[in-house]
Amino acid sequence: MRITGHRMIDLSAERTGKAQASVAQHSAEVSSGLRVVTPSDDPTAWASAERAKVRKLISDGTGAAVKASRDRLEETDGALGSIGDLVARAQELAVQASNATYSAANRAALGDELHSMFLSALGSANTQSSNGEYLFAGSLSNVAPFDPTGAYVGDAIGRLVPAGENTTSLATIPGSRLTAANGVDVLPLLEQLSVALKTNNLAALQSGITDLQTAVLQVGTARTLTGGAMNVLDSTAQARDLLSQHLAVEISNAVESDSIAAASSLAHATTALEASRMVSSHLIALLDPRSA
Amino acid sequence: MSDLLSLLSLGSAGIAAQNAGVSVATNNVANVNTDGYSRQRVDLNAMRASPLIGGVRSGSPNRLQDELLSGRIRGSASSLAYSTTLSGGLSDLEATLSQGPTLHERLAGVFSRMGQVATDPTDPSVREAAVEATREFIADVRRRAADLADSLSQASVRIHDNSVQATSIAARLAASNEQVGKTGDPVARDERDRLAAQLSNLVGGSARIDQDGQMRFVLDGGAVLVDGTHASKLETTPDPITGKENVFVVDGSNRRNVTGDISGGKIGADLTLRDKSITNAMGELDQFAFDVATSMNAVHTAGAGLDGVSGRNMFVTPTQVSGAATALAIDPGLNANPDQLASGTPGAGPGDNRGALALLGVATRNVAAGGKTLANAALAMVTSVGLQNAEAKASASREGLVSEHLAGLRDSLAGVDIQEELTNLSKFEHASSAMTRFVSTIDNLLGDLIDRL
Repeated sequence: MRITGHRMIDLSAERTGKAQASVAQHSAEVSSGLRVVTPSDDPTAWASAERAKVRKLISDGTGAAVKASRDRLEETDGALGSIGDLVARAQELAVQASNATYSAANRAALGDELHSMFLSALGSANTQSSNGEYLFAGSLSNVAPFDPTGAYVGDAIGRLVPAGENTTSLATIPGSRLTAANGVDVLPLLEQLSVALKTNNLAALQSGITDLQTAVLQVGTARTLTGGAMNVLDSTAQARDLLSQHLAVEISNAVESDSIAAASSLAHATTALEASRMVSSHLIALLDPRSA
Repeated sequence: MSDLLSLLSLGSAGIAAQNAGVSVATNNVANVNTDGYSRQRVDLNAMRASPLIGGVRSGSPNRLQDELLSGRIRGSASSLAYSTTLSGGLSDLEATLSQGPTLHERLAGVFSRMGQVATDPTDPSVREAAVEATREFIADVRRRAADLADSLSQASVRIHDNSVQATSIAARLAASNEQVGKTGDPVARDERDRLAAQLSNLVGGSARIDQDGQMRFVLDGGAVLVDGTHASKLETTPDPITGKENVFVVDGSNRRNVTGDISGGKIGADLTLRDKSITNAMGELDQFAFDVATSMNAVHTAGAGLDGVSGRNMFVTPTQVSGAATALAIDPGLNANPDQLASGTPGAGPGDNRGALALLGVATRNVAAGGKTLANAALAMVTSVGLQNAEAKASASREGLVSEHLAGLRDSLAGVDIQEELTNLSKFEHASSAMTRFVSTIDNLLGDLIDRL
């Protein structure tokens, strides 16, 4: 095949241009650390990375939600702990007051103490979270769930929060757990006992002691439920952290370049460019008519 | 004496023939950098004469070229221009759809905010952040829809500009045909080939040289753009329904719509880009916006805001798929008052988050056209353009190799090699000098002979 000198120079220039483009491409890959920058670089890898990014974005968003819910459950657990302690103490006082040696005056004094305990329990049951929501109000979170008599005015709707992909976890314990729907009305029971002691009503006191047993179990059950929910959220947080790491690796594998391979390719491309320039230089000198 | 005079004539013809060779070699070297120039060669023919004296004669310079190869080069130029232009346009389209936070990322941002609303449904700042994420998502959809419309418009402008240019080249090609018919000048033939290649680069099609020596340029689909010395025009006219520029071959009062026929060259690429890639992307974006609005609205209307009121939309209800992206808007009530975000359910209190959970649940439901999730639908839109562009880039690379190969073949046949031409020049110069000496010798002989008479 006949190849003209002009063609050889053209081909040499073209090859040098391609070698330069290759150096630029590999330099960009080494400096950015990315093998896939635009979808057309590798549509499958790009789509895979983007899917992982979307999952990570939503997962990271729910991570904050899970943490906030975990904090709230801790507050709930603390409040239930206080109520539980008060109910247990009330049980002790009631049993103590039921002793026949106790006078009406002694019982009245204990009745006053029980009333104070009722008010403390009421305060704990109407605890508000840092954002002003009442912890035990169910969905009616903007109003105090227990009225001054201890009656529950909230609802039984517990809040579920997104914990993972397609999963939810319990994030609030409604105050209905402390009502007759689940045993006895815990807070009014304290006030009823207080009244029974103040009025020296032994029959009511005996009846109240039985109910207090139920109340202790009831508060304990609510705390167990809270602890269980906290455990679920902790497990979820761990699973989400693992998912987040997995997704980060998936994104990295899809679009990031192997730094050693990229550096090696850059070295090859640079050598090819130098060789190409050298060939061009020789070719131009060789074909220069003045040198003939 | 008459024999000596004949020898003088022979010498004179020889000098003329060798000088023609010098002239052609010089012309070849002078045009070594002229685009599309085909080297010329002078053929020397021995003259027959009996019994002894013949001599030499040079014919017209021959232009070295192969019409079949020229046709392949035009076809390759058309394919390369098509692939390169399409790849460039698709790269722009790809950037339009994927630059910055992508649509699926924006949407994921909305769902992420819904997750936070589900955790703190009564927190005003969380609700405002969710509404703001929705506003940003909508602004992004509308911006991309506007960018796509702009890309469509730019493609139409390029189609118009290239049609004007093609008309001008077609007219020059016809004029070239006329010049070739009159003079047969090799340079005019080169010019004609160059113009035909430029025309192929713009509109694809094919050119052939008929027995009358005239080139005819025919578009894909059969419309004749250049017929000998007559050229038609390539004009664009907006379609009365779609508003897109249609391409017509206009010959006097005859107008033929060739919009659907042109499948090569830059115009073919821009037509593909405009009528397929961009139009499809716009349709998919509209469908996506429609699906987002209708699916989120369906869930939102079932939920209740902080005020307990249900039945309100999250987005302004789209009336149709077409234009849904441009028309996508947040419900004015929700925009003004984030408390209207349906985070709860009817009958429950403001702390109920089941509405927000349901809205978040849309993220994983296959509610988009084609049974995809909304994020996957947005992703598929960009991936589809990425795949088309990867294919166009690969095609451009392939066509580049073919074009390079054909350029090599053309160079092998018609390219000027300076060393070769310098050798030819030297050869003809020497021959010319020898012939000059020969004539001088004969002249001396004749002089001597005349002196002795």
